[in-house]
Amino acid sequence: MIEMHDVWKVYPNGIEALRGVNITIDTGEFVYVVGPSGAGKSSFIKLMYREEKPTSGVVLINGVNVKRVRDWKIPHLRRKIGVVFQDYKLLPHMSAYDNVAFALEAVEVPTKQIQPRVEEALELVGLSDRMKALPSQLSGGEQQRVSIARAIVNNPGFIIADEPTGNLDPENSWDIMYLLEEINMRGTTVVMATHNKEIVNTMRQRVIAIEQGIVVRDEIGGEYGYED
Amino acid sequence: MKIDTIRRHFREAYRGIVKNSWMSFAAVGAVAVTLMIFGVFVIFAVNLGSITDEVGDNVSMNVVLKDEVTKEQATALTTKIKGLPNVNDARFISKDEGVDEVKKNLKDADFTRVLQKGENNFLPNLIKVTPKNVSVSKGVEQAVKGLEGIESVKNSNTAKELLDSVLLFKNIILVFGVGLAVLAAFLISNTIKLTIIARRREIEVQRLVGASNWFIRWPFFIEGGFIGFVGSVLPIGVLLLVYQGFVKMISGGSQNTNLLQMVGFADMAMYLTVSILGIGIFIGVFGSVLSIRRFLKI
Repeated sequence: MIEMHDVWKVYPNGIEALRGVNITIDTGEFVYVVGPSGAGKSSFIKLMYREEKPTSGVVLINGVNVKRVRDWKIPHLRRKIGVVFQDYKLLPHMSAYDNVAFALEAVEVPTKQIQPRVEEALELVGLSDRMKALPSQLSGGEQQRVSIARAIVNNPGFIIADEPTGNLDPENSWDIMYLLEEINMRGTTVVMATHNKEIVNTMRQRVIAIEQGIVVRDEIGGEYGYED
Repeated sequence: MKIDTIRRHFREAYRGIVKNSWMSFAAVGAVAVTLMIFGVFVIFAVNLGSITDEVGDNVSMNVVLKDEVTKEQATALTTKIKGLPNVNDARFISKDEGVDEVKKNLKDADFTRVLQKGENNFLPNLIKVTPKNVSVSKGVEQAVKGLEGIESVKNSNTAKELLDSVLLFKNIILVFGVGLAVLAAFLISNTIKLTIIARRREIEVQRLVGASNWFIRWPFFIEGGFIGFVGSVLPIGVLLLVYQGFVKMISGGSQNTNLLQMVGFADMAMYLTVSILGIGIFIGVFGSVLSIRRFLKI
């Protein structure tokens, strides 16, 4: 469960990215975060995986106050959260397999467990036959699937996705959405910031709209609500 | 830490060195040159240290007694001086014993011919006082001067001056050595900075998936330490070979001469290996720490 109570995020240059946000996301939910560019979506997302700290207010991840977590304990918090980005953030010199294995090595998973877990994750995203390919040999959609495999390989409770379809054509975007939906069906909470009107309006999940740092709309089965 | 993880850290450190091979090579070279110069200073410092100890032990003063002081009074004075704080030894040398001593030390025939025992002996009675060490000799001199029957105190100024200049030289070496070590650390720091920049994407992903801070830092420590280690080995080898040759040349096979007593090869090998290796690895790791603190935002 993710909770935000009266959360403010003010950057050193004085910009108020979030202004008194109150939100609760239950385990197993699928949530779209929408709003114009610069509305505060990225700050909202970054608070969840503790890339940013709230200026005031409380952010709780499974009851843990992320502001109070000591620096050396942050990695343990992040192991419960898989993050997916618009630009995939894959390591170009490593194969699809190695990119996923890298996430397990980083958290010191025993070597024997790495191979079956990586193969399972790549199978889930439909890339069993592309394991040895380098990112440069994969399409944008395939690269995003590798990054999703990397995000889920540690069995996190949450997937936080920041514009995961932003660089993809409609066909590949839908593939990614079906994949995220399947991951959600298996019990993982998915929070996704997006500008994709078609996807939001078709999938009909919970929609949180943020404008000028304030939550202006929060509805189950909501619509995108903007023209861009 | 698990064996797999340790192996991985070393593999990553190796990868960093190979990836920036030219910069690593330059850093190793810089460390080697720095430590070579530092090693030369260590050789000087250790040898000067042994000379200082020797000179320090031999700093004695001659307390000249007034003519009217009798032998009994002189003996009593000697015992009194021996009892003073910081005095190691005090020995009475009568006029006649003085003649023998001068003749033993000086080979100048013309001068020694005019020295005679008995009535015509112009040498004074004196007490040779050895302070515990050179640093307390001034205090001992003051204390002795305050006693009755003392004409003057003649200090061994040459020894003291030599000692002062040796100490000054040692301090200069120390400051210079520290300066060089800091310079080498900055060179290593720069190399590590390049590795960090080259790996910023990997580090970003490691942070995102929850790698611990130490897991991220370790390869950089190892890389810095390894550069320091490799940079130390070369100067140790070269300096020991040169020193061995030098010791042989100076002593003609034996390690002791009357003129110059050099520190033995085995002792020097230990001093050099421990100091250069220790400093090499230390500046390597220190260089890594500098870069990790500045550029590794975790």
